[in-house]
Amino acid sequence: MNGTHRGLNRTLLGLIGLVLIASGASSVLAGTSRGFAQRWTNGGTGLWAGIQERLDAARIPGTETSWWTLAALALLVIVAVLLVCWIASQGTGRSNHVARLEGNDGETVVDTAVAAQAIKAALSGNPQVLATSVQSWRTKGAGQGTGLKISVQTRKGASPAEVSDAVEHVVESLDHLLGVQLPVLVRIRAGARSKFARTQRVA
Amino acid sequence: MRTMEATAPALLRRLNLRETRSSRAAVSIVVASVLLLVIVWLGLEQALSLTGNDPLVLAPAELLEQAASLGTAILPWALIAAGVAVVLLGIALLAAAVLPGTKARHVLENSRSAVVVDSEVLAAAVSRTARTVARLAPEQVASRVGRTRIEVDIRPDAGRTVDTNAIREAVERDVKSYRLRRSPAIMLSTGLQGTRGAVGI
Repeated sequence: MNGTHRGLNRTLLGLIGLVLIASGASSVLAGTSRGFAQRWTNGGTGLWAGIQERLDAARIPGTETSWWTLAALALLVIVAVLLVCWIASQGTGRSNHVARLEGNDGETVVDTAVAAQAIKAALSGNPQVLATSVQSWRTKGAGQGTGLKISVQTRKGASPAEVSDAVEHVVESLDHLLGVQLPVLVRIRAGARSKFARTQRVA
Repeated sequence: MRTMEATAPALLRRLNLRETRSSRAAVSIVVASVLLLVIVWLGLEQALSLTGNDPLVLAPAELLEQAASLGTAILPWALIAAGVAVVLLGIALLAAAVLPGTKARHVLENSRSAVVVDSEVLAAAVSRTARTVARLAPEQVASRVGRTRIEVDIRPDAGRTVDTNAIREAVERDVKSYRLRRSPAIMLSTGLQGTRGAVGI
C-alpha cells in the first residue's frame, strides 16, 4: 500500500541487469576468442588516446587538469545523489491523518490514531484475533488521498471468512463514524504469536 | 490519475495486486547501495588525483588505461570466470525486474475493501476444519496452501480409518465460504489408511 515506485524499481533493476549481462558476455567472449580480445584492446587503447587528446584540448588555464575531469566528477556526484534518492523512495507515503474535511469555519482533520483506536477496540473482543495494527497511507487515485491498512494477526486455525466479516463490520461502522468512505486494505496474517498462542477451543 | 470512489473495483484491484506482489524494495536498496559505494570510491579517486594526492587503490587515468587493454592483459580463464559470474548476477537482476514476485497470499472477494490473507492462515484454517471433522489431534493433519491448490495431509492412528468424503466435503464447503478470488483445487491424502501395527512418523 506504500508509495514505493515499483515500476521505477523494476525498470532500474532490469536496466542494470542488462548492462551486467552485456559486460559479462563480452568478457566471456574476450576469454574465449583471441580475435575479440585483440579488438577490445585495440579499440580501447584507441579510445583512451582520443580521450586524452580531448582532456588536453580543454585544459583549465594555469593548471594541469581539464574541464572534462571536473565534469566527470560532477556527473559522479549527481549519480550518487540520484542513487540516494532511489534508496530513500522505498516504503514512503505514510500519513498520520485519515480524513480532511473543509467547512465554512475551517478545516477538520481526523488523525489516524482515531480510526486506529476505534478499530482496535472493536476487534479486541474477538477471540480469533490476537493483534490488530492500523496505518494510513497516501493512496493514489483515492478521493480522500489517504487509505487505511488494517493488519489483523489471527489465532492459529481462525477462519479467514469470519475474521474478514468481523473486520468488514468494523469498517462499515467506521464509514458511518467518519462520514466518508476510505479505501481500505485488510491483511489477515499469521505471525510468531500465532504459532505459540493456543488454538481457540470450540464450545 | 483521476480520482475514484474508495470502493471502486479498479482501486481495490490495485491494492490487492500491490499487497500480493513483491515491491522489489530490498533488492533495489542492495543494488543501489553497492552502486553508491562504487560511485563514491570513483569520486574520491577523482578528487584525490585532482588535488595531486596518492590514490587509494588506483588513479582514474590508470583505471581507464587498464580497462582499455583488459581483453589481452588478463588470463582467458579468469576473464571467462569473471564474465560468467557477472552474467549470472545480471540474469538475477533481470529476473527480479520481470518476474511477478508473487507472495504466498490470497485475495478474498470483497466489494468494500481489498482483503488479503496469508497462505499460512488459510492452511491453519483448513487443517482445523479437517481435523474437527475427522476427530484427530492437531499434529495428525497438515495442510499446504499453494497458489492454485490446497493439499491436506491426514494421518489417522494406525488401525483407524477416517471418512475422506466427509472431510473433503467439509473442507470444500469451508474454502468456498472464504470466497477466495482464485478458488484452489483441494487435494486430500491419507498416508497409511487403516494400517495395523506400529507406524513410525
